[in-house]
Amino acid sequence: MTADNPVETQPAAEGVSHELEVEASHAPSGTSPWALAWRRLKRNKVSLAFGVLFILLVLSALAAPLWAEHVAETTPSRNNVSGTIIKDGQEVDIVSLEGVPIGPTWGRKYFLGADQNGRDVMVRLLYGARNSLQIGILAALITMTLAVILGMAAGYFRGWTDAIISRAFDVMWAFPVLLLGVALGVALAVGGLNIGPLHFESGSLWIPTFIIGVVGVVYLARPIRGQVLSLREKEFVEAARAQGAGNLRIMFGELLPNIASTLLVFFPLIVANAIMLEAALSFLGAGVQPPAPSWGTMISSGLSSLISAPHQTFAPGLMLVLTVLSLNIFGEGVRDALDPRAKIKLEN
Amino acid sequence: MRSTLRTLLVLALTLSLALFVAACGSDDNGGDGGDSGSDEASAIQEGGEATFNYPSFPDYLDPAMSYTAAGWQALYASYGQLLTYAREEGQAGAQLIPGLAESMPDVSDDGKTYTFKLREGLKYSDGSEVKASDFEHAIKRVINLESGGASFYTSTIVGADKYLEAGKAKGDISGITADDETGEITIKLKAANGQFPFMLSMPFASLVPSDTPFEVMTKNPPPGVAPMKITQVEGSRRFVLEKNENYPEIPGIPPAHLDKITVNVVDNNERSIRDVLSNKADWMDDPGPGDALREFKETASERYTEQVTNSTYYFFLNQRVKPFDNPELRKAVAYAIDKKALARLFGGQLEPGCNFLPPGMQGYEKIDPCPHGKGGDIERAKKIVQDEGAAGEKVTVWGNEEESTKAVTEYLADVLNEIGFDAEPRIVDGEVYFQTIGAQKTKAQIGFTNWFADFPHPGNFMFLVDPDTIQETNNQNFSNVDDPEIKKQLDELDQQDIGEAAAGYAALDKRLVENVDVLPYGHRKLPSFYSNRIAVDRVLFHPVMLADYTTFALKK
Repeated sequence: MTADNPVETQPAAEGVSHELEVEASHAPSGTSPWALAWRRLKRNKVSLAFGVLFILLVLSALAAPLWAEHVAETTPSRNNVSGTIIKDGQEVDIVSLEGVPIGPTWGRKYFLGADQNGRDVMVRLLYGARNSLQIGILAALITMTLAVILGMAAGYFRGWTDAIISRAFDVMWAFPVLLLGVALGVALAVGGLNIGPLHFESGSLWIPTFIIGVVGVVYLARPIRGQVLSLREKEFVEAARAQGAGNLRIMFGELLPNIASTLLVFFPLIVANAIMLEAALSFLGAGVQPPAPSWGTMISSGLSSLISAPHQTFAPGLMLVLTVLSLNIFGEGVRDALDPRAKIKLEN
Repeated sequence: MRSTLRTLLVLALTLSLALFVAACGSDDNGGDGGDSGSDEASAIQEGGEATFNYPSFPDYLDPAMSYTAAGWQALYASYGQLLTYAREEGQAGAQLIPGLAESMPDVSDDGKTYTFKLREGLKYSDGSEVKASDFEHAIKRVINLESGGASFYTSTIVGADKYLEAGKAKGDISGITADDETGEITIKLKAANGQFPFMLSMPFASLVPSDTPFEVMTKNPPPGVAPMKITQVEGSRRFVLEKNENYPEIPGIPPAHLDKITVNVVDNNERSIRDVLSNKADWMDDPGPGDALREFKETASERYTEQVTNSTYYFFLNQRVKPFDNPELRKAVAYAIDKKALARLFGGQLEPGCNFLPPGMQGYEKIDPCPHGKGGDIERAKKIVQDEGAAGEKVTVWGNEEESTKAVTEYLADVLNEIGFDAEPRIVDGEVYFQTIGAQKTKAQIGFTNWFADFPHPGNFMFLVDPDTIQETNNQNFSNVDDPEIKKQLDELDQQDIGEAAAGYAALDKRLVENVDVLPYGHRKLPSFYSNRIAVDRVLFHPVMLADYTTFALKK
């Protein structure tokens, strides 16, 4: 059983926008909230466009091995420091004697230029996208899983459970996220990470994934806790209890579906934050370890040649901006589509 | 919809602004014309303060422990030894002169006994009296703390190895006797050793008070006898040197000009250079390639100097662990690496070469052609790896995060992958890098290292491949070269005068390179950057001590 949506089944309250009234009056009977949300999202052309952009970025990341093997004919870590290439009919060094790498050729090889080790920037950019997206999405899933478990436990059980979990949140909240991430990253960089029987080598992508997933928990767990605190007092929960449902059944069978839309709204935003944090940690040397490419490490490596070889920094920087922007705007559109009451409150 | 558009607009404006600012670059060049090219020495003022930038905090600021160029530059200014170097450039600077000893030592006919007399009236920077027995205490600290320099003394001084084995801090080194009344210090050696006087000139042999604890004193360095003293150490971000008011003005070691030098750690080399260009900092060196270096050279060339150093950059290949316990696999790596490519990774600040000894060092004879070809012979290297059955073997390539080092480490890992290994780079913080690879338990297989001459004698490089110097921690023989034939040759050469021994060292250099006991690829040029406050022409760039901090002075 889910909570009623007041927009659909009750007379519109005063001040509700005309748009929603029209929508409500035209809605065929029995249309689900999800269908209505999808209809709202479809009308938000900007959000959809950025959603499509994100999908294109994901597809390009997935196509990285194809580009590397069939177009650029190299790998993301293949060095070519003393090689040469024909550019504008002339043979030029890929990396000059002073250590300046070649700029974009707009051709098959070195489409976006080379880095100081003579590696193909376009190939590293696409593989960096794979790493960043993999870490971002997996870290977001870790964040959401842990946040749901801890937030629901704190909000449902209250008392000592809530006190202990909330104090733990307070401690984590006190640490700046980046500082905490760097500290953990550096600590695990040499010896790797052990979680029970699992061991992750120091260069494994699971280490930054785990770090980013854990440090983001508190930012989602608190709102979930707040929602659960409110929802547990609802009649449907009482009814479920009266029918003999246990705590776990109530939490995951009754409460979780009611916060699903919240989770869906937050998910793209958490992924965006995770990607930003991964780039920041990698920039600082505490995230993705070489030779694995990452937008953050590419930006960091290119800084010393920002004037003579700006492509090294601008290309990954632009990709980072587009990815985070597309997730944020699409996420905003999803929120607008799923949570019209927020819109109502704003307009009232 | 409305809020989305607004968000878009704000983000677009922010991005445009960021791009605009980045494209404009720094408007804070501060580059100026400096002095007009006058041939006269700059007029200087006594006193004043300066700020230096370091890329990372020195390994230690304890003279018993430090073993990096950055640490020694500060320690040469703040600690005194029985013998020191003439404050001259070039070959003249390689001459030893009396430091805290009143004269060069009396050496017995068999070359095994050195007798010094301490200068009278010496005081440490804290005002306490210098005693002859302080010398033995200083050497005990080096040995007891298992310093990287311990083997210099345990391998030469009678009883020093027994002191190490006994493990008692307050034990006695039988080969050192001192008389505090007369100031006489007598040192007995196991065998005549032409390098020993140079060993007494290193910061390890700096005199410190006999009550200096047997613990690492980086956070609170002990007092010394020198023109400057270390007065403050703030974590690993900053330390301060100040003029030593108790400095007795030893002949040949002039007092410092500056009252105070604050050394800040600025780990971003580009920012560090720009600080100096804009006169926010007064000096830095060793920046790595980059736009800031190119800009500095173009806009402030009168404040830029570049010197070839007595150094060798090389890869170690650990002979105690697989796969490089196999000499054929070491040769495979030598065939594969391209020294000219490596020079580009240093932005042209590396002179490619395959010698282990640096040019300018006695005993250097250029190895030409290099025994493993011009390099970059991937196919030949790949075949060797296949034939030796090592294809797919996991290798960790060690390096630190300093700019060129990281690029070199990634390059080497890629080359090893190309020839058939399964290699991964491991980048470690610069402040703990050498301690990490110098610990036997790390089992570091291959990686970056370099060596700047401790003193101008080829024996100082050969110590890096001497079997007797292998240690469990703070090991400097990273390749763990343990060849009895090399040991025999070194023992013979060490007893000879450098003139006689030069040819022998040259032959040994060639043997090391042919066997790939070490894999040298070049010798470093060291750029230095100065603010327009510093009288650049007055700064002494010493062949051993590098930049002599006591010679820095502000222009009038």
